[in-house]
Amino acid sequence: MIPRGVRYALSGISWPLYALLYTPLALVAYYSFAPAPNEAGHSLHAYNVLLHDGAAFTALRRSLILAIGSAITSTALGTLLGYGLCRFRSPNAKGVLAHLPSLIIYTPIIMPSLVFGISELIFFNLVHNATGFLSAGLETMIIAHITFQVPYVALTVYARLAGLDPYLFDAANDLYANGLKSFLYLIIPVVQPAIIGGFLLGITLSIDDFTISFFTAGPGSVTLPIYIYGAIARKGISPEINALGTLMIGTIITLALVHFFITRHRDRAGQFAARGNIT
Amino acid sequence: MSATAQTEQEIEAGRQRLRLWVTSGPGLVWIMIFLLIPSAVLLGIAFFSADDYGAPVLPFSVQPFQQVAGYSLLGWDPGNITIFLRSLGQAGIATLVSAALSYPLVFFILSRPEALRPLLLLFIVLPSWTNQVVRTYAWLELLGPNAPVSWVAHLLHAVPPDLGLAPGSFAVTTGLAYNYLPYMIVPLYASAEKLDWTLVEAGRDLYASGVRLFWHAVFPQTLPGLLSGIIFVAIPAFGDYVVPQLLGGDKALMIGSLIANQFTETPDWPYGAALTIIMLVFTGMGLVGFRILTRKLGGAEEATI
Amino acid sequence: MSASASPAAAAAAPSPKRGAISIRGITRIFAGSVPAVDHVDLEIHAGEFFTLLGPSGCGKTTLLRMIAGFETPDEGKILISGRDMEDVPAHKRAVNTVFQSYALFPHLNVEQNIGFGLRMKGVKTPERKKRVDAIMEMLQIGQFATRSAAQLSGGQRQRVALARALVNEPEVVLLDEPLSALDAKLRNELQIELLRMQKRLGMTFIFVTHDQHEALVMSDRIGVMSKGKLEQVGPVLDVYEKPKNVFVAEFLGLSNIWPITSSGAHSAASPIGELSIDAPLNGANMAMIRPEKIWIYNDTAAPKDRANLFFGTVREAIYMGAATQYRIELAGGHSVLAFDTNNQATERSWRPGEKVAVELKPDNIMLISP
Repeated sequence: MIPRGVRYALSGISWPLYALLYTPLALVAYYSFAPAPNEAGHSLHAYNVLLHDGAAFTALRRSLILAIGSAITSTALGTLLGYGLCRFRSPNAKGVLAHLPSLIIYTPIIMPSLVFGISELIFFNLVHNATGFLSAGLETMIIAHITFQVPYVALTVYARLAGLDPYLFDAANDLYANGLKSFLYLIIPVVQPAIIGGFLLGITLSIDDFTISFFTAGPGSVTLPIYIYGAIARKGISPEINALGTLMIGTIITLALVHFFITRHRDRAGQFAARGNIT
Repeated sequence: MSATAQTEQEIEAGRQRLRLWVTSGPGLVWIMIFLLIPSAVLLGIAFFSADDYGAPVLPFSVQPFQQVAGYSLLGWDPGNITIFLRSLGQAGIATLVSAALSYPLVFFILSRPEALRPLLLLFIVLPSWTNQVVRTYAWLELLGPNAPVSWVAHLLHAVPPDLGLAPGSFAVTTGLAYNYLPYMIVPLYASAEKLDWTLVEAGRDLYASGVRLFWHAVFPQTLPGLLSGIIFVAIPAFGDYVVPQLLGGDKALMIGSLIANQFTETPDWPYGAALTIIMLVFTGMGLVGFRILTRKLGGAEEATI
Repeated sequence: MSASASPAAAAAAPSPKRGAISIRGITRIFAGSVPAVDHVDLEIHAGEFFTLLGPSGCGKTTLLRMIAGFETPDEGKILISGRDMEDVPAHKRAVNTVFQSYALFPHLNVEQNIGFGLRMKGVKTPERKKRVDAIMEMLQIGQFATRSAAQLSGGQRQRVALARALVNEPEVVLLDEPLSALDAKLRNELQIELLRMQKRLGMTFIFVTHDQHEALVMSDRIGVMSKGKLEQVGPVLDVYEKPKNVFVAEFLGLSNIWPITSSGAHSAASPIGELSIDAPLNGANMAMIRPEKIWIYNDTAAPKDRANLFFGTVREAIYMGAATQYRIELAGGHSVLAFDTNNQATERSWRPGEKVAVELKPDNIMLISP
């Protein structure tokens, strides 16, 4: 399809681009091994400092609570949402009301995160002033993170369900499974990969986010990204910050690769066997 | 009989509606309470006056919008217009850069064995999963005053000796393109993957040069993906906050930072809200414009809820 | 008599046979459109192979789905084994379906797919395993037991889908175009296999298809549907040989159909000429004859004394292996379609342009309604 010469050219352009994509990240890692004060050569000094930095550990703990807490809730809400829209929405509904769910789902995705964050800031502020509840802190951050994760989980689950043979539901029903049993023995196991995928996506989005976290955080809810941002704003980039960044980059890349190869291995086993059998 | 048939169907339809609301209701209501209402409040605030602390108070006022246009007690100031234009420019250039980089990358991936493609795609998306702050400040280290790239730029007399490429407009554009590259790659890959190669083969007889072949037989087929990609990159890049904040310095203020300042450093909520409305109007117009364009070009409808 | 009948006696009265289906005045209207199924009455006998035949969109699948319980009729009743199904949901009906797409569960392997119904019914593992193994043995799919559905070929999936229905020993098995996705050779094999299973297990099979050949091959009786209505129900032979109307005649095989006006007790005028017809005319205004019921002669060798002998010229000869299909243009310009078996093809065949005579025997001409 693609002529040989063009392929070489594409490789020649693309491999350096791949390298470029990882250069900034690699530099962060490189500078994290900066020499200890008054010494020469690379060292793990920055990591050692980090290990004794109580504030960083507190921020890490908060980040994990934020990511896992919001992802669990958004997975529950999003799974139900995607399931409901796929199974129970009337196909011939028309008018504004029929489009309302789609509009609501796409708003958090389309809305610039700055507008998202500021909206939350004002809303929580007003609610707190009026009722005393929801003062800015981990609680409000979790609420905001759930809000931007729900649509992604819902879309993931919806896509999986919409890709299924619609007669599967009839088949379960036909084979003596009532609504509850269908849900337990057909829908949950079939949608499970999408639910897990949605959960991991939620965690990734939560860890990736800075803007929305920044505007919903309170003084006592500094998470890792806010901690890093604050440290850079105050005293510039330090080896400790680079060490922290390196650990974050490393964790995310490792988790992503592990997930990729696990799911891929499973898929490929299926595909391979299928191909071997169709003669 | 037909009357009972009608009610039977109505009862069934009612049951279906109930199931719909029980399952999808919680998620939808959640988003409504915690995003739609808050953003409506934010937009509403633009029509209030500001008190001494920048909080919204009655009476209603159009003053925030006058401020946006650059009018204040001190007379007219082009500052905001400059910031708007700069944001548009930087988002535009970042979009162009990411599109230009995406084409070779996408076709490179497609030229590799099928089994390798998901992995190659993953490696493009991966950096965007690391934290916004981390992957953005990483560019400071690459483009900062003491970094190798800046020495080279200095040798070429592109920058003064004591300054690096970051902070500044160049760093912001680079950072935006880096951040949003996957948003361009993914839709473009999706449409390039479905490319009808028989059309390309047919075109091989018609067009002498590879460039013309690409332009006439390949490019039109990738247009739906490109247009989606432009929307996915340009909209968030235009209103981005982290990148200009970390890589922009004082000279490359963008609309995002300007808005954020009205809610953090020097609060003026109504003014900030008015700025937000203007930003959303701009992005909305862009979105609608591109949708119309996509429709006109017969772009493939994406699978949507 | 009614005075002496106690409730107990009534309960003990012989119930209709297990697997018999009684459909009474069933109607299904989807919102805002014409009825998909329109006041259909149908009795399906216990243990028979019944086929619902019709073009796509005729309502046959909707009718099947109402029997299964996936759709609720807007009017009318369905009785299975004598029991009114009105308030019996799909998962409580002793009816199992083989879907056109097979609808095998992607998360389960073959064995688990087949055992799904028994598991939902609460049949314990040793018993379930025994029954699943037995049915897999019967359908020769035992060697695939631990494969997933995605790893099977079309024909294997079909067998699994069938096994998944049969293992539950339902009173009725519903089959919704189960063979339509298979290639011709495999389809023939599976038709025979299906038939064998049905005869062996004695269950009622209701088979939905748009393929008239399949319907003829497999069924004890067929019901021909069009636009939500049952056009004709009867044994295969009756429906084919004596179609009630033009739709049935044309849908089931090829036919020559002419409008007629009666000109005597057993004669009528038709576009091709005066026809002698054995059947009592009784004001009928359409006549039909199947192409294989038409005799062809060389025009010189035609027996001159026969009724309904027409002369013409062969315009088309389509060789189909076992038979040849001819289009013969008669003197008046009208054409007839005729088949001739090729048991002596080398001696008895005609080429386009040859002069021939055709004989339409009076007892082979059927009267039908428009």
